[in-house]
Amino acid sequence: MHHPVIAPVREPLVQGRKSYHQITEDICSPTEKVPGVAWVAGFLVSVALAVFGVVCILLTIWNGIGEWNLNRTIGWGWDITNFVWWIGIGHAGTLISAILLLFRQKWRTGVNRAAEAMTIFAVICAGLFPIIHMGRVWLAIFIFPYPNTRGPLWVNFNSPLLWDVFAISTYFTVSLLFWYTGLVPDFATVRDRATGIRKKIYATLAMGWTGAAKHWQRHESLSLVLAGLATPLVLSVHTIVSFDFATSVIPGWHTTIFPPYFVAGAIFSGFAMVLTLMIITRKVLGLEEYITVGHIESMNKIIVLTGSIVGVAYLTELFIAWYSGYVYEQFAFYNRALGPYWWAYAAMMTCNVITPQFFWSKKLRRNVAFTFVLSIFINIGMWFERFVIIVISLHRDYLPSSWSMYSPSWIEVGIFIGTIGIFFVLFLIFVRVAPVVAIAEIKHIVKGAGDQYTGHDADQKYKDFYNDVKSGKHTNGHDDHH
Amino acid sequence: MEQQFTFTGKQKTFFLALMALGAICLVLTYIGDTATPHHERFWTNFLHNSVFFTGISFIGLYWLAAHTIGYSGWHIGFKRIVEAMTLFLPIGLILLLVIVAGLYGGWHHLYHWAQEGITDPTHPNYDKIIAGKSGLLNKTTYTAVTVFVLLAWAAIAYFMRRASVAEDTEGGLKNYKKLKLWAAILLPVGAFSSAFCIWLWVMSIDSHWYSTMFAWYTSASWLVSAMCILTLVILYLRSQGYMGHLNKHHLHDLGKYIFAFSIFWTYVWFSQFMLIWYANVGEETIYFKNRMDHFPVLFYGNILINFVLPFFVLIRNSTKWKAGSLTFIAVVVLFGHWIDFFQMIKPSIWAGLKHHAEHAAHDAGHHGPEIADFMMGFHFPGLLEVGTFLGFLGLFLYFVFSRLAKASLVPVNDPYLYESLNHRA
Repeated sequence: MHHPVIAPVREPLVQGRKSYHQITEDICSPTEKVPGVAWVAGFLVSVALAVFGVVCILLTIWNGIGEWNLNRTIGWGWDITNFVWWIGIGHAGTLISAILLLFRQKWRTGVNRAAEAMTIFAVICAGLFPIIHMGRVWLAIFIFPYPNTRGPLWVNFNSPLLWDVFAISTYFTVSLLFWYTGLVPDFATVRDRATGIRKKIYATLAMGWTGAAKHWQRHESLSLVLAGLATPLVLSVHTIVSFDFATSVIPGWHTTIFPPYFVAGAIFSGFAMVLTLMIITRKVLGLEEYITVGHIESMNKIIVLTGSIVGVAYLTELFIAWYSGYVYEQFAFYNRALGPYWWAYAAMMTCNVITPQFFWSKKLRRNVAFTFVLSIFINIGMWFERFVIIVISLHRDYLPSSWSMYSPSWIEVGIFIGTIGIFFVLFLIFVRVAPVVAIAEIKHIVKGAGDQYTGHDADQKYKDFYNDVKSGKHTNGHDDHH
Repeated sequence: MEQQFTFTGKQKTFFLALMALGAICLVLTYIGDTATPHHERFWTNFLHNSVFFTGISFIGLYWLAAHTIGYSGWHIGFKRIVEAMTLFLPIGLILLLVIVAGLYGGWHHLYHWAQEGITDPTHPNYDKIIAGKSGLLNKTTYTAVTVFVLLAWAAIAYFMRRASVAEDTEGGLKNYKKLKLWAAILLPVGAFSSAFCIWLWVMSIDSHWYSTMFAWYTSASWLVSAMCILTLVILYLRSQGYMGHLNKHHLHDLGKYIFAFSIFWTYVWFSQFMLIWYANVGEETIYFKNRMDHFPVLFYGNILINFVLPFFVLIRNSTKWKAGSLTFIAVVVLFGHWIDFFQMIKPSIWAGLKHHAEHAAHDAGHHGPEIADFMMGFHFPGLLEVGTFLGFLGLFLYFVFSRLAKASLVPVNDPYLYESLNHRA
């Protein structure tokens, strides 16, 4: 028997002594049943919000950017704040798929599928904002540097905004491929259980997957290549978003720590959104044995880690602003903390730096209700972070005669609410049509992480196996099979 | 499972010989240096190596804490080596106390902000910008931060080591929990305190210049260096018949670490450089202008040796676990990051000397030494610098090896030990 050696102090990742068949049953069944009342209600509300958002977007396109309350001083407001917020939220999916895979964090299998889906939906919402911000959206095609009849008129390769186009489109493509590749074996599982038109649809989606050794081999190679591509993307996308600000000479924007600090913040907000969604999803779909309290605790640890990284960055910025001896930089931070928008800065500091510190307590990390509330706090805090960076830095610049204030029009608010609607419409469809937890991957780890194999309640024969390994009776070989 | 390392006489002699070489080089640098007014070559060498090796020791502790908190299993098989690396911290404190003593004794002119009258508006040395920063840049703060922070790190390293060794005899989960507690304390404390240290020790040499990325950039450099030393010590111990319980997957993962964090270092290096270059604010660009114009070999060589080389060598699968390629790249990259710290310190001091000499030439009556456009030991590490490096390396390894001999090489009662022994990719 080749059995992974797992220390009994580790918490099992799959509860309920699942057999392979039970795993299939548990995870496939939500796609096979008629949706419940909660789902239908959620879906209707989401559609309504999405429709409202689309109306606001159409009004903006029809009448122009004048529908927003931007002014000559504050050229970026809720639009770019929302753009960065949504892009950041997407990062948890990529981190889980790529970085946690490299670090062999097995708990990723409980949430990777949903987090990757969330990435794709969040990027869709994010992408909307720069496009409608162009004003004349029918000219959006001009952002692509294709051989053209424009003569010498090319895109500005020196602009980080163009780098954004490349970074985000690559990010979207790779995330989509990664997500779909993982879904193929699971679609095949659903197909094999389905009948009629459902069977036809899932057969198409599964692309003829039979589970042959050759299929698995190709699947693993492709997954590895995509993970390799996704790893730099975790860093690059939000790095380039941070360049949008940091390459400028605007105090509060131009600071070298921005790239890694934006990435940490993005992961922070992404995990908060994963928690918000998965705490509801696991409850509604009855997946508590796959997305366990242990999973929530692990995610909360990422929250306290990335929240603290963000906190270190905030304080570093604040300190270096003083240290720089550069009066404009000093003023920018003074104005952030004590100027007319002090409440936004206070909200950001409270939600992003102070509240995550509760998760130093194991008890609170494992408290599902508390985690849910805190995840909402972080979602709000990270929105305020972008508002603070964008609006507060812009509203009082070098020239006091052009200082200004800004509050959004109802259309700007409507578009933001609309993207939340779009996001939830897509997510709710996703939980109905695809397995929310990666079936094949759970089956892959269950022998090492199921509660019958490891932990304190493991079956006696697996406890004996571990003790054999410990006493040297069972040598698990070293370099003999690789 | 217990494995006892013996620190042989031969090894001791070798490390002592390295230390002697380093001491001779330091003396020669001190007395032989006529090109700089205040033995700057000697003092920069001393600061450079002290910061480099103290930082490696600290980041080893950070690495250990992160793995402890993160439920890591694979590293247990060699965690005693990392522990031994962290026990160098008290020596790091002593080394930096020499710099502190020099600060008070006026032995060196490493820090422009430490000059007399720099904050006094009536004094000819008055510097308005430095006066504005004097809340941080003063001798008392420098001393206090250096002493308290290093003591705190050394104390945590000591407590973690004590709990780890106690686990060998006591068993149970009591010490495992203690380790987790210390690790949790170190992570936030270390993150803040290391930034203050690096600002004071290195960034403040360019007293006017600032970069929010600087602390993270130097930490990345330390981390890669620590991984290289760790890998080299493991490979050496394996060649001596120890560490047979590690398999190629452990080495492969160490190779991945060097690969990944070399890229991470490049990422933070590039982000810092590109943002300053692009925004083109004079107060910031001067840092890179000096390096690109007057130190091109160091500036571009830094990228070649710390990014291009490890990237292309380690991108292959097998080079990440084969002893030959791993030894080669670990040696090169360790030296590369030593060069990285060299280019953080030396060009700044040289530019200060040059600036001062030019001013002195204008003022009649003042005749400092002429500052050449190429100075061995500043524009390029000379034999004395290499010898000094080997001396400090000898000191570091002497401590690591002597601490290794004090406990079993295998933490026999660690709850994750058997995972580590059966580590698979």
